[in-house]
Amino acid sequence: MASIVLNKVDKIYAGGVKAVNGLDLEIRDGEFMVLVGPSGCGKSTALRMIAGLEDISGGEILIGDRVVNHLPPKDRDIAMVFQNYALYPHMTVEENLAFGLKLRKMSKPEIQKRVGEAARMLGLEQYLKRKPAALSGGQRQRVAMGRAIVREPQAFLMDEPLSNLDAKLRVSMRASLNQLHENLGVTTVYVTHDQVEAMTLGDRVCVLRDGVLQQVDTPQNLFDNPVNLFVAGFMGSPAMNVTYADLIRDNGGAAVVFAGYRLPVPDSTFAEKPGLDRYLGKKIILGIRPSDFEDSRAAHGSIGGWVRVPVRANVTEELGSEINVLFTIDAPPVEHKDAMAAQHDGDEEETSLPLGGNKSLWTARVNARSHVRPGQEVELVVDTHNLHFFDVDSGLSIGHEANISR
Amino acid sequence: MTERKGPRARLGPSPTLAVLFLLPALLLLGVWMVYPVIYSIFRSLYDATGERFVGLGNYGSIFTDSATLTTIRNNIIWVVVAPLVVTVLGLIFAVLTERIRWATAFKLVLFMPMAVSLLAAGVIFRLVYEQDPDKGVANAVLTTVHDTFSAGQGYPGARPRENDQSPAVAQQDGTVTVRQPARPGQAVLIPLVGLPPDSVKDAPPATAVAPADGVAADAIGGTVWLDVVRGGGGTVNQVDPQEKGLAGITVEAVSDGQVKATTETAADGTFHLTGLPAGSYTVRLPQSNFAAPFNGLTWLGPTLITPAIIGAYIWVWAGFAMVLIAAGLSAVPRDALEAARIDGATEWQVFRRITVPLLAPVLLVVFVTMVINVLKVFDLVFIIAPGSVQPQANVIALEMWRVSFGGGNNQGMGSALAIFLLVLVVPFMIFNIRRFRRDER
Repeated sequence: MASIVLNKVDKIYAGGVKAVNGLDLEIRDGEFMVLVGPSGCGKSTALRMIAGLEDISGGEILIGDRVVNHLPPKDRDIAMVFQNYALYPHMTVEENLAFGLKLRKMSKPEIQKRVGEAARMLGLEQYLKRKPAALSGGQRQRVAMGRAIVREPQAFLMDEPLSNLDAKLRVSMRASLNQLHENLGVTTVYVTHDQVEAMTLGDRVCVLRDGVLQQVDTPQNLFDNPVNLFVAGFMGSPAMNVTYADLIRDNGGAAVVFAGYRLPVPDSTFAEKPGLDRYLGKKIILGIRPSDFEDSRAAHGSIGGWVRVPVRANVTEELGSEINVLFTIDAPPVEHKDAMAAQHDGDEEETSLPLGGNKSLWTARVNARSHVRPGQEVELVVDTHNLHFFDVDSGLSIGHEANISR
Repeated sequence: MTERKGPRARLGPSPTLAVLFLLPALLLLGVWMVYPVIYSIFRSLYDATGERFVGLGNYGSIFTDSATLTTIRNNIIWVVVAPLVVTVLGLIFAVLTERIRWATAFKLVLFMPMAVSLLAAGVIFRLVYEQDPDKGVANAVLTTVHDTFSAGQGYPGARPRENDQSPAVAQQDGTVTVRQPARPGQAVLIPLVGLPPDSVKDAPPATAVAPADGVAADAIGGTVWLDVVRGGGGTVNQVDPQEKGLAGITVEAVSDGQVKATTETAADGTFHLTGLPAGSYTVRLPQSNFAAPFNGLTWLGPTLITPAIIGAYIWVWAGFAMVLIAAGLSAVPRDALEAARIDGATEWQVFRRITVPLLAPVLLVVFVTMVINVLKVFDLVFIIAPGSVQPQANVIALEMWRVSFGGGNNQGMGSALAIFLLVLVVPFMIFNIRRFRRDER
C-alpha cells in the first residue's frame, strides 16, 4: 500500500486541449478517494495518468515515494478496474484472475491460493471454468474486481466500474465495494460521474471541472459547505435550489428577499460565514437544499423557528419514503456559468424544460406523510440555518474558509 | 397454442414462389458448376481421345509420372510456405501500421498489388528476377549489398606478361607470384597487363619503391601497377610516369607455405609488407584480386524458381492479408490490452498473449483462404517461369492446363488433375464455410 501524490499535473492533448490543469491531490495511504465531475472534466484522464496509460504533460505523480512519471504501467504496481470490465475474452475466469500473477512468475501453488481466496471473497468459485461471455454483467464486474484483488497491489484504480450495471445491482455492488475496502484497506482511486456513488463510497471526494480541481473534502463537508456554485449544484440530488436574492438588514433583523418571499437569516449564520455582513444591501445568489424544506402539516412540532413558505406544487415525484415537490417561484433562473455547468451533466443536453418568463423551478423534498398532490397549495417550511450564499460574480461560496483569503 | 392445419396455416411465401426465386440461381449453378464437375469426373475416366474407358488409370498416372509428382511436390512447398508467410507478414504489417501516422497511405501502397492483375504481376516479376543486375531489381539489390560488405573491388582480367622477362608469373589457380624470392629490405615490382587502360584512367600514377627510399629493414616494399602506356611507349617492367598504380590489391608474403604478412596496395600501387623476420619470402597476389564480380543469383534457374515465384505471390497477397487482419485488429477491445499492460505484461507479452489469441479467428480465415488460393495458383507460375524451367516450377493447376490444352491435348488426364485439385480444395472450403456459419450464429 502506498499514498499517491499528484503535483501540478497537466495533461495537454494534441491540438492544445487541456484535459487536466495543474491538479494537486494527495491520496493518503489506505484512503478511498473518489474523483467526481461531469463527463469531460478530466477525471478519467487523471486516473489513466496515475495508471500510466496516458503520458503526463507536466508536473509529477508519486506512488509511495517513487516518481512514476516515466514508468510503464507494469512497473507501477497498481491494479485497475475498467468501466466495461476489460476481461480477456479468450481466457476462463480462473485464467483471467491468474494472468497478472503468471506474468510475475509467481509459483503455481501461490497463484492457486490467491485465485481461490479472491474467488471465495467475491463468490466466483462456481464460475472459475467459464469464459467471460458466459457470465452476467455483475459476475463479470466481480471478475474484474478479483483480477485487481489477487495482485495485492499498492493501489486500486477504478474507472466507473459500476456504471454498466443495472440500478439495483449497482447499489449492492456499491455496498460490497465499501466492505471490500474496509477489509483490504488498499489505497483506492475511484472515478465516477455519479455523485451518489461519490458520496456513499468516498472517504474523501475530489470534485473536478474542466480539468481544474474544485474541492476535496469528506462527502458531508462537500454537501454542507460547498466551495462554489458548481460544487453546490453538482453534489446532492435533487440539486440545490438557487436564486438571485437581496441580503438586507432592517427592523426585523437580517433577511434574504426574493420572489416575494422573505427568509430571516439567523445571527449564527453571520458568525459561521465571516464576510457575509459585507454583502448586506447587495445582491447575492441564495441556495437552499431541497432537503431543508418540509411540509408544515407533516412536520408538526419539529419545526421550531422554521419559516413558512406557501407555494403551489406543480409536479410531485413520489419516492415512497418521501416526495419531491416541484414548484415555480417568480424569480429569473440563475444564469451563472457554474450553476449551468453543474445542472447540465454533460450527457443530457437539456435536463429541464425551458420555463417561460421569469420563473425558476425549485424542488422541495418533503415527508411522504404530506400526501401533497400536483396543483395543490402547500405550505412549506424552510430551515434557515442551512442557507447557502454565493457571490453573484465569482460564484464562490461566501464565508467558506477556502474563499476568505481570495 | 392451437395448431392450424391446411395450406393457409404456414407463414411466409408459398413454395411455388420460393422455387421461382431460387430458379435463376439454381440454373446458373447447375450450368456452370454442377454439370462441369460431373462431366469432368466422367471425362477423367477416359483416355486422351475420349473413346477408350481407362477407369482410374488417369488417377494412377498422376502418382506414377515423375513430372506430375514434381508438380505435387511443388504444390506442397507452396501450401506449406506461402500461406504462412503471407499471414505472418500481414499480421506484422497490420500491427505496425496501427500505431503510425500515415497508416492509411502505407496500407494503400501495400494493398496496391491487389489492383494489378496476376498476369501483370508476373510480367513485373519476370523483370525483377532478371539475371543482369542492370535490369533485374533483385540482383541489383543483392550485388549492391554484396559489394558493400565484401572488401575491395577486383581487377578481373589483370595478369602478368607471359614471358621469361616478366618479374611475376600467373599460377594455375590464378594466383600471381613474384619470380624472385624477396628478402626484407628489398623492393619488388609486379607489373600487370590485361586491363583496359580506361578502367583505371582516374587512378594516380604509379610510384616505384626503391630500397633507397626507405624500405624498413623488416619489410618488403613494392609496386603493383598497370604496365601499359596509352598509345604505346614506356619501358616494359619499369614504372613509367604515365603508368597507373592499382589500388586495393591484396599482397601476401609467403614463407614455407605460410602467409607471414598481408597488406593492400595504396592508391599509387605501392605496398609495404612489414614485421618480417630475416629470410626469403615469396610475394604473391591471391586469386581473389582477379575474381569476376558477384553477379547475383540465378532466380529463374531450376533451383530458385519456386521460391522466386512464391516471393511474387507474397508481394501480391500480403497487402490483402494486412487489410483483413487490420480490420480484425480494430475490433480487439482496447481496454483488454490496457488491462494486460497494467497486469504487468510487456508489449511483446500483450501481443503474444492477448492480441494474437483474440485475432486467431481472423488469422485462421486469412490462412485458410490463402491455402485455397495457393492450391490453384496458375498464372504467376505460367508467366514468371521461363519455358526451360517450367517443368521444375510446375504446379497442379498449370499441369492441368498444359496437359489438356497447352500442347498435351489429353483432356482425360486434365480432367483427372482437375478433380484431384478439387478434392484437395474441398476440405478447406468446408472448413471456411463452417467457420462463417458459426460466426453468423
